[in-house]
Amino acid sequence: MTARILPVADSRQVRRYVRELIARHPRTFATTIALYTLAAVAGLAGPRLLGDIVQAVQQHATIGHINALAGALAAFVLLQTTLTRYAYVSAGRFGTIILAELREEFVEKVLALPLSTVENAGSGDLVTRASRDVDALRRSAQMAAPETLVAIVTIALTVIATVLVSPLLFLSVLIVIPPLFAVTRWYLRRATDGYLRENAAAARYVDGLGATVAGAATIEAFGLQQRRIESADDELAGSYRAERYTLSLRTVLWPVQEFCYVVPVAGALLLGGYAYTRGWASLAQVTAVTLYIQQLMIPLEVLLDWLDTLQVGGASLARLLGVAQVPPDRTAGARAVADPRELAGTDVRFAYVGGHDVLHGVDLTVRPGERFAMVGPSGAGKSTLGRLLAGIHGPRTGTVALGGAPLIELPLDELRGEVVLLTQDHHVFAGTLRDNLHLAAPDEVDDEALWQALDAVDAGGWAAALPEGLDTPVGSGGLALSAPQAQQLALARLLLADPKVLVLDEATSLLDPRAARHLERSLSAVLEGRTVIAIAHRLHTAHDADRVAVVEDGRIAELGSHRELIDANGAYARLWDSWHGETAGTPPHV
Amino acid sequence: MFFGIMWMVSQAVLPAAVGRTIDAGVTTKNSAELIRWALVVVGLALAKAASGILRHRNALSNFLAAAYTTVQVITRKTVALGATLPKRVAAGDVVAVGTSDINEIGHALDITARLTGAIVAIGTVAAIMLAESVPLGLIVLIGVPVLTGLTGLLLKPLHDRQRTYRVLQGELTGRAVDIAAGLRVLRGIGGEPAFAGRYRRESQELRHAAFAVTRVESGLAAAEIMLPGLITAGVTFVAARFALDGHLTIGQLVAFYGYATFLAAPLRTLMEGADLITRGHVAARRVVRILNVEPGIRDVEGAGGTEGAVLVSGRGSTLVDEESGLEVEAGELFAVACAEPAEADLLAERLARFEDSGRPMLGDVPLREMPLRQVRERILLARNSDKFFNGGLRSELDPTGRRADEEIRTAIRVASAQDILDALPEGLDTEMTDGGREFSGGQLQRLRLVRALLARREVTVLVEPTSAVDAHTEARIAARLAESHAPATRGAALVAVHAGTVVAMKVSSLSSHVAAVGIEAEPQTTTILFTTSPLLLDSAHRVAYVEDGRVVAVGTHRELLASEPRYAAVVTRGEDIEEAA
Repeated sequence: MTARILPVADSRQVRRYVRELIARHPRTFATTIALYTLAAVAGLAGPRLLGDIVQAVQQHATIGHINALAGALAAFVLLQTTLTRYAYVSAGRFGTIILAELREEFVEKVLALPLSTVENAGSGDLVTRASRDVDALRRSAQMAAPETLVAIVTIALTVIATVLVSPLLFLSVLIVIPPLFAVTRWYLRRATDGYLRENAAAARYVDGLGATVAGAATIEAFGLQQRRIESADDELAGSYRAERYTLSLRTVLWPVQEFCYVVPVAGALLLGGYAYTRGWASLAQVTAVTLYIQQLMIPLEVLLDWLDTLQVGGASLARLLGVAQVPPDRTAGARAVADPRELAGTDVRFAYVGGHDVLHGVDLTVRPGERFAMVGPSGAGKSTLGRLLAGIHGPRTGTVALGGAPLIELPLDELRGEVVLLTQDHHVFAGTLRDNLHLAAPDEVDDEALWQALDAVDAGGWAAALPEGLDTPVGSGGLALSAPQAQQLALARLLLADPKVLVLDEATSLLDPRAARHLERSLSAVLEGRTVIAIAHRLHTAHDADRVAVVEDGRIAELGSHRELIDANGAYARLWDSWHGETAGTPPHV
Repeated sequence: MFFGIMWMVSQAVLPAAVGRTIDAGVTTKNSAELIRWALVVVGLALAKAASGILRHRNALSNFLAAAYTTVQVITRKTVALGATLPKRVAAGDVVAVGTSDINEIGHALDITARLTGAIVAIGTVAAIMLAESVPLGLIVLIGVPVLTGLTGLLLKPLHDRQRTYRVLQGELTGRAVDIAAGLRVLRGIGGEPAFAGRYRRESQELRHAAFAVTRVESGLAAAEIMLPGLITAGVTFVAARFALDGHLTIGQLVAFYGYATFLAAPLRTLMEGADLITRGHVAARRVVRILNVEPGIRDVEGAGGTEGAVLVSGRGSTLVDEESGLEVEAGELFAVACAEPAEADLLAERLARFEDSGRPMLGDVPLREMPLRQVRERILLARNSDKFFNGGLRSELDPTGRRADEEIRTAIRVASAQDILDALPEGLDTEMTDGGREFSGGQLQRLRLVRALLARREVTVLVEPTSAVDAHTEARIAARLAESHAPATRGAALVAVHAGTVVAMKVSSLSSHVAAVGIEAEPQTTTILFTTSPLLLDSAHRVAYVEDGRVVAVGTHRELLASEPRYAAVVTRGEDIEEAA
């Protein structure tokens, strides 16, 4: 239940990965940089030509000269336009390619996560990474990265151009570098946390509204109206606080930045005016530098604007890469499964957290083709034993072996053919009903087999009534199946996967008790010859089984057929009597 | 709005100031004028910086005020509608308000200041330019909007592609979430290659869609360079010739270059504003539609008289439903076994007035004539579809905060939920997140039972309260429920309850009549169980068997098993068939 958090990559690994990613497409990357550089160079001609025009006007040059300069100005604009367009396309190609690679690799890694990790970690962390982190990274890779790249190239070239025109006048830019640097650094240190908090707070009130909507009937029944209103107001107040915080950060950052962007213009004018008076600079130089500096501020602003997005993107990338760092949970052993396929646990002990055993030396043998039921109070270790019998976890000591081969040493593909665990957790994938059934079945399985599987779990009726039958879209975005229907679907899927041993952990718990019983009967007929281990909370499942194990406190307290256990007159017998109402007596205290 | 105007205008006049500096200070080599005008530029920079942040602060306030108010009114409407909501409005529509509509409304309000600023700025620049040179002013004033409008032509294909892209992107995220959420299934029985393949295909599709967006955007990015660039070149050319003729100063020439580059920004704001305001309007309409939904169950005109009076006289009354023939005594642990599950839901809703059918009476007052608020305070309907919210476990179990520790312990014991709390390091102080997703179905069911018990209503209607717990636990719950209703223990339970109420009174000094009644009158808690579980049925004082909406037989579980074969078939269905086979 304690969802363990998956690992996160460190910054060195993130940097190495980014380098690798770029190295995979050196041509596209180089082309992009080259095109942007050329475009920026073309863009730098404008102020310089304007400077020349100013000079020409002042010196009363000929109209022809002015015409030529203006013509050149227009030509450079067109050149810059063309280059920018191709640079943009090239950057887009690069960004979309690496982004696609990133997310595809992430999903592949997720799909290869070890079985035990999947069962232990809640899906929450993974879902967050798959949605929020992939999205943050998209903003980073698709927008922030190219924009920053362009900004850096443009800044570098503009600085060079300014210095080329007049190193002296460039000094006016230098005065704003220290305050800009200081305030940006101050801001970036706080921004990521601030914005993460802001997003989390916003998510909280949106989720809160979702919970209020989903629980509207509960709110009315329990009179929780005032409480939900207050809770919403609290969440909004929390969001407001988070917004205020980031606003206070911006209140410091923005004015300083905006001021700093304009001050160099005044500086250049002053310095330029003085230099012109003294004859150190021409009017053309003053004009060109003033305009360069005005131009310089645009990419600078872009650069500073995107820095925090890049920071968030880096953090998201670290979380995505972390998924690949889960160590494998099984190493294939040499032994093959031998017949008879007896599932045997010997002296099995197991702990989720070190030193705290939840199973204390269980010995158990399930015969091929047997219907085996496990009952017992919650927390006794039934589900844990079920997971071990399904080869999800290896025991801390002892062995769980099928036909002599330890389950934990079977390669995953082979294991699935032998034993499959089905819990009450179910999931309907977005897709058609057929897609959902086909998951585990080879492609050649025809519709008839699908219908048979549906019939075997009593789902044939509602499935046939669906508007488009097997082609009906279900799951998120499609028709929402009810919880019992989803459970039936999971069972049908399991039938199609057709393993030799089935471990069912309350796999029918969400069905109406009567429907559950009927389903188990019809299932039983289909599963003739398969071994079924059922962890049951209803006694009829135990009654119908060949043998029943009563699990208490991590041990098997009673073991035998229903008849034998009744005759033994132990805890099971007392429970059965009160459930079945055959003998009058005080209710059992188990 | 004022700051929006000031911000835009301070940017708009900046080129003029730079031009004046060149004219007055640089070309004339007049250092006093130079310093004066350079200071004007610095002053404008200060004005721009100050008004910029003030504008942003006000815009954010507008945005948040709109978003928060929308969430507040929707929350209030939702709780007011209660059980009616899911019947009238799709949950997705309401949640969409939270996820998208509030942003749209917020953006619409947010843009108003910038929009006004943009309009004023365009006007200001136009005035300055026309004052300085009519032909040049006209070139800029006609050229810039025309060319910006031409750029706008690119916006439609861009928006179309962006929409396609967003849809695909949403689907792909959905696919990834689907894989993450269903990973247990995938890793358990296979299907990873199929899903990896499908994801890769959709990811590549998205890549192409993203690239298609980029292509259009690249056109836009190019246009954004070309149009002002050409205008600038044109203006500069004409201005240079005027300057050559002496019609214009050099400073004015530089300023015109600045105006032409500047004007594109407010024009874009103008187009953006029109779009955002339209969308905000559509979102607001959706919100209003939800606000217009009427509740399904309402008080009858003049229902009940004064609430307190009816409540006090009514405590400890029988609950009778003529339509079905159901009669439940005060203080009874009563069970109803229905032949069909749907009947149970309907009957339970009627008894708790979650729907108006039949004519159920509590004591001598028909529920329908009682104020709805009072019905809810006296009768609780607890169902498996009930939800938990986010909060400390203690406050989720006892939302009123009025129950003493002893009472909470007792309820946890009855619901056999101690093991759940034992497994939590922080016990009752554990935060419940996501409606309790960290708990299993069986655990949640027991926690729901604890909450229902702690609500301590006069009548508690429980629908299949143990369907997801194992037989051992169910037996325990059944026994303890019976214990808490047994005449012998009722006195003892009462003492505990009294103590608890008194403590609660002291702590929160509640003066409501409900609490007062809790002390004065004996709380004869009636529990009605809708179930077909033999373990629960066996613990009830009496059981009613219902078929086709009518009570067919009443008696103890064992009496009915012996006397009513159809009842026996329903509660132990299949048993006899199997034994015969």
